[in-house]
Amino acid sequence: MECKLIRPADLDQALAAREEYTDDGLPIAGGQSLLVMMRNRLVSPGALIDLEPVEALRGIEVQSTGISIGAMNTCRQLIASPVLREEVGVLPAAARQVSSTAVRNLGTIGGNVCHNEPGADLPPVLLALNGQAVLRRRTHGREVPLDAFFTGYFETALEPDEILCRIDIEHPPANAAGVYLKHAISPEDLAIVGIAVVVVPDAQRPGAVAEARIGIGGAAPVPLRATRTEAALKGAVLDEKTARAAGEMASTEVDPGSDPHASAGYRRRMVTVFVRRALMQAAGRIEENGHGAA
Amino acid sequence: MALLDLKVNGQEVRVEAPDTALLLDVLRERLFLTGAKRGCETSHCGCCTVRVDGMAVHGCVVLAARCQGKAITTVEGCGDGMELDRLQRLFLEHGAVQCGYCGPGMLMAAKALLERNPQPTLDEVKKGLDGNLCRCTGYTPIFDAILAYSRGE
Repeated sequence: MECKLIRPADLDQALAAREEYTDDGLPIAGGQSLLVMMRNRLVSPGALIDLEPVEALRGIEVQSTGISIGAMNTCRQLIASPVLREEVGVLPAAARQVSSTAVRNLGTIGGNVCHNEPGADLPPVLLALNGQAVLRRRTHGREVPLDAFFTGYFETALEPDEILCRIDIEHPPANAAGVYLKHAISPEDLAIVGIAVVVVPDAQRPGAVAEARIGIGGAAPVPLRATRTEAALKGAVLDEKTARAAGEMASTEVDPGSDPHASAGYRRRMVTVFVRRALMQAAGRIEENGHGAA
Repeated sequence: MALLDLKVNGQEVRVEAPDTALLLDVLRERLFLTGAKRGCETSHCGCCTVRVDGMAVHGCVVLAARCQGKAITTVEGCGDGMELDRLQRLFLEHGAVQCGYCGPGMLMAAKALLERNPQPTLDEVKKGLDGNLCRCTGYTPIFDAILAYSRGE
């Protein structure tokens, strides 16, 4: 059966198509994962709804509460965005580590998040930035915090008649430090583990942590926040010993699987190592500058 | 099926293809431009790399329908069909081609890189070719050829 291609002119048409093809339609963003899955017959949609022409899914907008990133922004556009570089450098830094140049040229933030492949680079960072998924269906919209959006292995909270329109992230405090560390055999691979930390220093107590957020990819069926570790870091002085203990604790919050790239035990061990390293890099950045420039 | 209006290597062409045909299939099977090679077909090897509006993309993961109104360049668009262009000549001189299967993709990725960054460092060349695998040369002659190009050789 031939797959139809629907090219909506705007978001309303795209949402109408999504409703019409709830059973066997799929939206296509950059296509860098979906077209591979179709080739491998992992999915066989009857219709693709092309999101490329939809203007409402583009742009990076600075708002009073945060930054709203259109789902169709490519990794290339995230890397080139002066606003993101200035405000949340950790996001373009992670986008730079996604797959290869050709894939970054077309692959989008929305596709990356909706595909929810373990080891993807953007989800841990977006989790650590308190990201929200802005979803629309024809009749209404809703917002879902990303830690509730990632529901299972290659699964998300996106309903078959919805489209992910934007990812909203908070402005990190000006003195926060953001770090993303990717552990992979080859840089173009998916991460064996990908660790994102955002550390907000306590302005009153030098060296102390006001808030730490840790996003972990590749070490469970879903990317997740290490919430117990985050709670333990609150108020602590961030030194080597604290970072080491945080790494150990984070490794108890994950649920890794084994695959040909790495065993579950190795992934868990690497969570320990890379959470420690990411926290120490963030601490170093804060000490150097008096702030971290997330 | 759909009728697609494409601009390939400066020429306007109209082709009939399935709605969701891939650019690589249209180039090779409908337009008989077999320079872009069929490799992994899963966006890993890069031997199908072509340029769309200047950007290097893997033709195996691009919908041909999306390329309407954009400029598609393949290795057949290098030189004039009789004479090699400067980068192709340097690939030859540096032995950057052994079995040759990765060559067209390497050239297109290199051209996209050099246009964006005419004086790349070795690391930037490596990063620019991170979507292209070569199993023969060990890459060094390819990097040498690209760096020679940037020096104006």
